[in-house]
Amino acid sequence: MMRINKIKSPTWNFLKINDTCYDEKITLNGSGRAVVEKIPAGVIIGNESCEGCKGCDIADTGSVRAVKCGMGEEADAFFLKASKESLMIRAKAGRRITEPVNIRYIMENGDSNADRVEIIAEEGSELVVIMDYSSIKYSAGGFLGIQTRIHLAKGARLHLVKVNLLGTGFTCMDDIGVAAEDDAGFELTKLELGSGKCYTGVMVDLKGRKSSFKGDVGYLCLEDKLLDMNYHISHHGRKTVSDLQVKGALRDDSQKTFKGVIDLIHGGKQASGNELEDVLLLSDNVVNKTLPVILCDEDDVEGAHGATIGRLSSDMKFYMQTRGFTEHEAELTVTKAKLNSVRNLIPDDNIHGRIQYFMEEAFKE
Amino acid sequence: MEKERTQVDDIDRSLYDFRYEEKDEDFYRVKEGLTPEIVREISREKNDPDWMLDFRLKSLEIYDSLKVPDWGPDISGLNMDDIVTYVRHKTKMQATWDEVPQDIKDTFEKLGIPEAERTSLAGVGAQYDSELVYHNVKEEVLAQGVIYTDMESALNGEYEDMVREHFMKLVPPTDHKFAALHGAVWSGGSFVYVPPGVKVEIPLQSYFRLNAAGAGQFEHTLIIVSEGADLHFIEGCSAPKYNVANLHAGCVELFVGKNARLRYSTIENWSKNMYNLNTKRALCEEGSTMEWVSGSFGSHVSYLYPMTILKGNDSHCEFTGITFAGAGQNLDTGAKMVHVGERTSSFINTKSISKSGGESTYRSAVVIQNTAKDSKASVSCTSLMLDDRSRSDTIPAMDIRTNQADVGHEAKIGRISDDAVFYLMSRGISEEDAKAMIVSGFADNVSKELPLEYAVEMNNLIQLEMKGAIG
Repeated sequence: MMRINKIKSPTWNFLKINDTCYDEKITLNGSGRAVVEKIPAGVIIGNESCEGCKGCDIADTGSVRAVKCGMGEEADAFFLKASKESLMIRAKAGRRITEPVNIRYIMENGDSNADRVEIIAEEGSELVVIMDYSSIKYSAGGFLGIQTRIHLAKGARLHLVKVNLLGTGFTCMDDIGVAAEDDAGFELTKLELGSGKCYTGVMVDLKGRKSSFKGDVGYLCLEDKLLDMNYHISHHGRKTVSDLQVKGALRDDSQKTFKGVIDLIHGGKQASGNELEDVLLLSDNVVNKTLPVILCDEDDVEGAHGATIGRLSSDMKFYMQTRGFTEHEAELTVTKAKLNSVRNLIPDDNIHGRIQYFMEEAFKE
Repeated sequence: MEKERTQVDDIDRSLYDFRYEEKDEDFYRVKEGLTPEIVREISREKNDPDWMLDFRLKSLEIYDSLKVPDWGPDISGLNMDDIVTYVRHKTKMQATWDEVPQDIKDTFEKLGIPEAERTSLAGVGAQYDSELVYHNVKEEVLAQGVIYTDMESALNGEYEDMVREHFMKLVPPTDHKFAALHGAVWSGGSFVYVPPGVKVEIPLQSYFRLNAAGAGQFEHTLIIVSEGADLHFIEGCSAPKYNVANLHAGCVELFVGKNARLRYSTIENWSKNMYNLNTKRALCEEGSTMEWVSGSFGSHVSYLYPMTILKGNDSHCEFTGITFAGAGQNLDTGAKMVHVGERTSSFINTKSISKSGGESTYRSAVVIQNTAKDSKASVSCTSLMLDDRSRSDTIPAMDIRTNQADVGHEAKIGRISDDAVFYLMSRGISEEDAKAMIVSGFADNVSKELPLEYAVEMNNLIQLEMKGAIG
């Protein structure tokens, strides 16, 4: 049994939202390895065995190892045990790399794997990393766990894209930890479309002055999918800024939990944190749990969160129906529009096509 | 450059912190701690019927089996072995103030209760430590068939069956550890029954005063508002400050009948050595309206979240609250809304102010069950931080189990917006006046819901001496 996605500020136990108990046995067979499709100039890719090697550019990973991830300590122990070596990606200082690093996990039916990925963006560098997890068959099953630790040095910028297009029989654990130094910027674009069970933990520590985080998350929960998300943004540094927008739709018998914490820490003056969730409920048996938290230990700050949860508004339905859409088509169109607004932030047309294909499969009657 | 901050005075507690000299021989008290023998002794003193003694002993077993909450403010400073659970003045409850012992009467005079009764209330109950010492209701209200009496009289008189049918049915002892404690040692409180169709034009009020050091107060308020009836009930509480912990674990159960309306207003101003672990719950039938108005100013630690179960179709609830956490206070307040019936609606609107190291937490839960088709819920909470030694958290949970519902939530924490100040200054208002206006307006939507005398008191509590910006 593993307790994951524990929230820093627990609330009533009857809500069953303070943490998540994962009690299924995970048997890893090591199949379904990462494929690095593109390595742009200025990026070094290696693995843990490089560490300490004389003259190896990938050495000195202490800063990234200290980064905490969103799923918590029990997940840390799991990933450390399950994955002997981590894949390491480093952007050299001052290099502005516009071409994305593409890492693909193509998971066949029965594949079961857990990996650790470490990303270091050196001072003043800029990097885009796209990680997509997909299955050839829409109904494929298995397990994929990825833990991604990121250290952004002074002035570095990283756009991390994560797209989950795994088969509906898959369980996916996606654990992310980020530490951002002065003026560093972290942008996360995340689409949770596949896998029947999906657990996501994201911990962003805005350590440095004027460091920033922008998160755009889209999700789709169909059939009996279970989606569990835990986002924690710590504002340690002065003048740090965060903005997290989460949007998605639930249909059939699916269940979703979203916990989002803006943690305005003492000393982080003039910090600003904003969080918004927009949930579209499409069936009567869905379960939606939302816990948007602001923890404020500093006065010279601004924190705000909002949530709107419900069905398609009658005004919108009426408008769409006057344009010839049935109610079902109207819901489908709005759902796709929400997800496409996140998809459009991904700088890779190839992924756009695969997302489109996946959504068509998902919405097939 | 360090920003100047608005100075907001602490709440002036001199009104509540006084204590007249009392003689020990005038009081009956049980030993400190919590044992079956003490529970039996309380029950014997109160002439409980047998079923109530059994209920108390069962509650004690439940209390022993439950753990303290693992999610709220620290209550490790509360040691039940040091708490006296029952303290009673050796006088009987009176129906005129003249017959109330002088020292107790002086206390309530100073708190303004007899004056309020004369000018603006339909009935008053005054509890001193564990028992009511005064209870009176106006003739015209009695003539309407309204029953307003102390819980003991109701339990031992003609309303025993009604009490038995409702007592701790909304808040069962299994609910949490301090509900179980309440079930074991409860004493005092009020019983109100409003017959069908009766509208009580002016409010009833109960005032709870805990004067004894190291004691607990466990009053039980049971209100039944029948079909089509209307009532406003006001609850006030205070205590002088001691260096030892005091405990308040009261329980309020409200039954709001079909198409009835109940407004329950509370001004809580316990002393800063008080652990306020109170439980309040309302059950709303079809078409009914429940309104909570809550001001939390006192206590060392508070756990206070009135819960409303919107069982009947088309029932509605509003919660309006303000919390002011100053030095040495950790006030965890909020509300719970459970939507069960169709077309139910709820609105939570809260404000909180933290200063001088005070900690305030807004905590809520909106639960929309699958049966609550076409329901709506809205939550708005705003917090002001007045210095960087204080803390303010918001922890609102939403659990939605049908697609035929609309839920909205918004929360903000911070200091006064520079844009708002600039806007007002551009209209010719000085910076200091602009800031004063904004802060005064911050709590306005809560204070306007309070009875006039409480609104004035609350505004006095938040006296502002404007100097520079908040923040």
